[in-house]
Amino acid sequence: MRFQTYHRLFLFALACAGTAEGQYSFESAQGFLRTYCLNCHQGKSAAGGFRLEQVNAPASLRDAARKWTSLNRRVRDREMPPKGAPAPPIDQIEQFTDWVGGSLRAEACSAGVTGGPSPIRRLNRDEYANTLRDLLDIHLDLASALPAEGAGGEGFDNAAETLFLSPLHSEKYMEIARFALDFAAKEYKSRTRILIAAPGNGVTEAEAARRIFAHFLPKAFRRPVKEDSIAPYLTLFHAARKQGQQFDASVFFALRAALVSPMFLFRAEPPNTGTESRPVDQYAMASRLSYFIWGSMPDELLFDVAEAGKLQDPEVLQQLVRRMLRSEKSMAFARGFVEQWLRTRELATDKAPDAKLIASFPDPEELRSDIRYQPVMFFRELVLRDLPLLHLLDSRYTIGTSNLAKLHGAANMPVRKTASKQPHWMELPEGTQLGGLLGMPAVLAVSSYPYRTSPVLRGAFILDSILGTPPLPPPPGVPPLEEHREGEAPKSVRERLTQHRVNPLCAGCHSRIDPMGFALENFDMIGRWRDEDAGKPVDNSAELADGTKVAGPRELKAYLMSKKDLFVRNLAGKMLGYALGRGLTLQDSCAVDQIVAKVKENDYKAQSLIDAVVLSVPFRYQKEQSKP
Amino acid sequence: MKTLSRRTLLRGAGAALGLPWLEAMAATGTAKSPVRMAMLYMPNGINTSAWYPEGSGRDFKLSPTLEPLAAVKDQLLVLGNLWNAASKGGDGHYVKEAAILTCATIKKTPGADIANAVSVDQVAAKRVSDQTPLPSLELGVTPVAIGVDAVVGYTRVYGSHIAWSSPTTPLAREINPRSVYERLFRAASGPQGNSAKMDKLLLDRVLGDAKKLRAEVGIADRLRLDEYLSVMRSLEERVERASNATHRAWKPRVVLDPKSTPTDRPADHAEHVRLMLDMIAAAFQSDTTRIATFMFGNSVSNVSFRFLEGVGAGHHDVSHHQKDPDKLRQYQIINRWHVEQYAYLLGRLREMKEGDSTVLDNSMVMFASALSDGDRHDPHKLPILLGGRGGGRIDSGQYLSYAEDSPLSNLYVSMLDAFGTPVERFADSTGPLSGVLKGGAA
Repeated sequence: MRFQTYHRLFLFALACAGTAEGQYSFESAQGFLRTYCLNCHQGKSAAGGFRLEQVNAPASLRDAARKWTSLNRRVRDREMPPKGAPAPPIDQIEQFTDWVGGSLRAEACSAGVTGGPSPIRRLNRDEYANTLRDLLDIHLDLASALPAEGAGGEGFDNAAETLFLSPLHSEKYMEIARFALDFAAKEYKSRTRILIAAPGNGVTEAEAARRIFAHFLPKAFRRPVKEDSIAPYLTLFHAARKQGQQFDASVFFALRAALVSPMFLFRAEPPNTGTESRPVDQYAMASRLSYFIWGSMPDELLFDVAEAGKLQDPEVLQQLVRRMLRSEKSMAFARGFVEQWLRTRELATDKAPDAKLIASFPDPEELRSDIRYQPVMFFRELVLRDLPLLHLLDSRYTIGTSNLAKLHGAANMPVRKTASKQPHWMELPEGTQLGGLLGMPAVLAVSSYPYRTSPVLRGAFILDSILGTPPLPPPPGVPPLEEHREGEAPKSVRERLTQHRVNPLCAGCHSRIDPMGFALENFDMIGRWRDEDAGKPVDNSAELADGTKVAGPRELKAYLMSKKDLFVRNLAGKMLGYALGRGLTLQDSCAVDQIVAKVKENDYKAQSLIDAVVLSVPFRYQKEQSKP
Repeated sequence: MKTLSRRTLLRGAGAALGLPWLEAMAATGTAKSPVRMAMLYMPNGINTSAWYPEGSGRDFKLSPTLEPLAAVKDQLLVLGNLWNAASKGGDGHYVKEAAILTCATIKKTPGADIANAVSVDQVAAKRVSDQTPLPSLELGVTPVAIGVDAVVGYTRVYGSHIAWSSPTTPLAREINPRSVYERLFRAASGPQGNSAKMDKLLLDRVLGDAKKLRAEVGIADRLRLDEYLSVMRSLEERVERASNATHRAWKPRVVLDPKSTPTDRPADHAEHVRLMLDMIAAAFQSDTTRIATFMFGNSVSNVSFRFLEGVGAGHHDVSHHQKDPDKLRQYQIINRWHVEQYAYLLGRLREMKEGDSTVLDNSMVMFASALSDGDRHDPHKLPILLGGRGGGRIDSGQYLSYAEDSPLSNLYVSMLDAFGTPVERFADSTGPLSGVLKGGAA
């Protein structure tokens, strides 16, 4: 026992020596592992069957990448070392996990970027509703009839892995298909778009129906449909006719089946049965583009370009993306991406601004909506105007409305007299601090409680959503905070959090989390500026983990600007995850590096990010199918 | 912004508050009344100082939090010291809450390889799915929580689902009371005219497409299509059963009245919860389904309870009371409010006559949280209640406290037995939970 302790201390000293030189190396990582893991993970009866010998050679970063990934996750999540065993201090955890993550990526990227998995994916409820809208040319709220989806992968509800099916879905799909087609059958525009042929003039009923299906099914299934796939729908048509239904009704009945078919409900790309990664086929590419930017099916032009076989041509892709972004339909991208990246969707549920706070507004509902859509509109404008993405961190511009102006005061947000109710792009006066996402009520509210601000929530939000460096989970068995003593005056949030950071178990993370939140204390829980809180002046000073001292939002934003590479990398990873509709692999993260490099070359212009995502290898290629 | 807010054309103008009940419709129950099973889940744990009753066995005094159950005390079991061993590690919430009805350890993942186990309600539902129009009902009041919790590394899908039909399939919940009622109504009335025949043709067609597609895709994707095939086939079976008059064994025990359709825009959280509980009552009374799960909120829910006198914060916020007496007081008020809603459902079911008994007599309604003290994310000594007599099988009216860390899964073994779908084991069960069932089963 004693020997082990000395042994450990010795190794600990070695590990520290490694870092003291400033270069974390393979040896430093081995030192860390020997210090904290070796006791249990060696020999025949190694815990969990994992022995350090499996990862003690540099080549193991390539050959045993999975082992490294999993051990890295367990160290990061503080599952290991287990409770009771000596735990590494937080800076050592971070150095170790950063080094492992970086090394794994470097190893994976040295082989070059390849295509990723292309899993079959159900349309989520927004995609389903948008697709029906565009396919049938009807305008109904069909999405709210379906259950909402959870999210996976990079945190979006279009991730293939978390799009499950419940019996509830099967019923809803049947009902909505009937409802939507009944509606379309009565709308002149929709009807004529679907019924492109009619019996008579030498055209038999069967022939007319066949033409209608041959026209409709490829659009519904988003790729060419062979004659033998049309036949079963004709059979359905005939069955309905036999039941005494009219020609039109029988056609619509068969179309109903198309809208419940997996060919419609799922996006399935022809599998890559080869032995290496290859470009996805033209129609899959059309759908990848349209669901990324429109959250809906491809339009006629995309289908035509796919048919012409031009959808892997970088110049064509770039032009198409420009055109697609200009369409109203790209609002689906702005909403789907921004509201999930920033979690502002929660403003409709747990994070709804407190009714009492906004009761004095003439139309509180409208204010809520203005708050919620401000970051969405801002993002969309940045993209359409092709401005630098760094405006998301801080900007001289924002989206204004008269409601928001009332919230901030006309001096902070002087909106135009004309059309001021409508959201519009506006220049902020000198001296306001409302620029960038962190000046927006939506973001400030979603990182607060509805009834008070929380420096912890705001700090964690910045670390996670803005910088992409989420704080570590609390260590196992954290003791509850100090007990409240009878007769003691209630402490302020800052006082309590200061105490919090005195506890060394908490300090490691909270000295990173809380200060960022303190710097934003001038914004209340719905983003209104305040100089006083409960009668006391707001203390917006903070010392960040690296020793930088900041006071107030402006200085915090300037600090974040100095971390712009982290921010852009996080944004690029999120966007690639959203575009692919799945979690990113180690290989994909190499593509993210390339995307970030492109964006930097282009002065951080917003469209260059979208272009780079679309032109990236993971977006255009699929890897070979895994064998049984 | 106006242009952005979608106008809901599907939504009607219906604004009826509450439900006029259907006492007038005589129960048709000639056969033995079926047993029903519901699980109500409350997030964020309890103020442990105000939950547990005094006394034991039949001689016990309800705690301040449980007081709202006084009127149904004779129909109640308070169960002490149960826990779910599989949920002890991992993070503070998802691991506990996703497993409350599965007693499994969920896999840590942002989504790609999600894994839990089949939940107890679905074990039962699979065995009786041919007996009622709907196999089970999954309800909630808040949409699925979005995103991946990057701090702890779990997809929030886990925190939003307690009912799992397979280890990889969480069941979607309905949160709109109006849609639920319409669904119950449609399911209970069955297809009209020849529409069943047409629906069957249609379903045959799409199953054909699915099989064809399945043959073309890779191994991993087949699982997704199997999911599709499974839900579509079960729909087809239901259509078939409902449409075959001679074989249609099921009759509504009480006919649902379309005039009783509730609003789809509840005024607030409290009304929303009540309406969803009404839906469970309507489903059980009509016998449209015998199994229901309901989530008062998602894992880590921070729904604001400022509508309650004396509460100034959100649910999760208050649950991290840090022993602050004021937060503990608020925590207890929130707990008690949930118990009141539970008591409301039990009361409703008891008002529903069913032959010589009531629907409550023939039900087992569980109330559970997956944590005791939320501040410590403590999975020991779970707050578990069981209301109703389970068709006479449940020995209710007791406070049963077990040896520390007795398996919660034992309760599920007993409940499945009372429900008529007995199992040898459920997860880590060691047998039935002693004292729960009447006559033996000790």
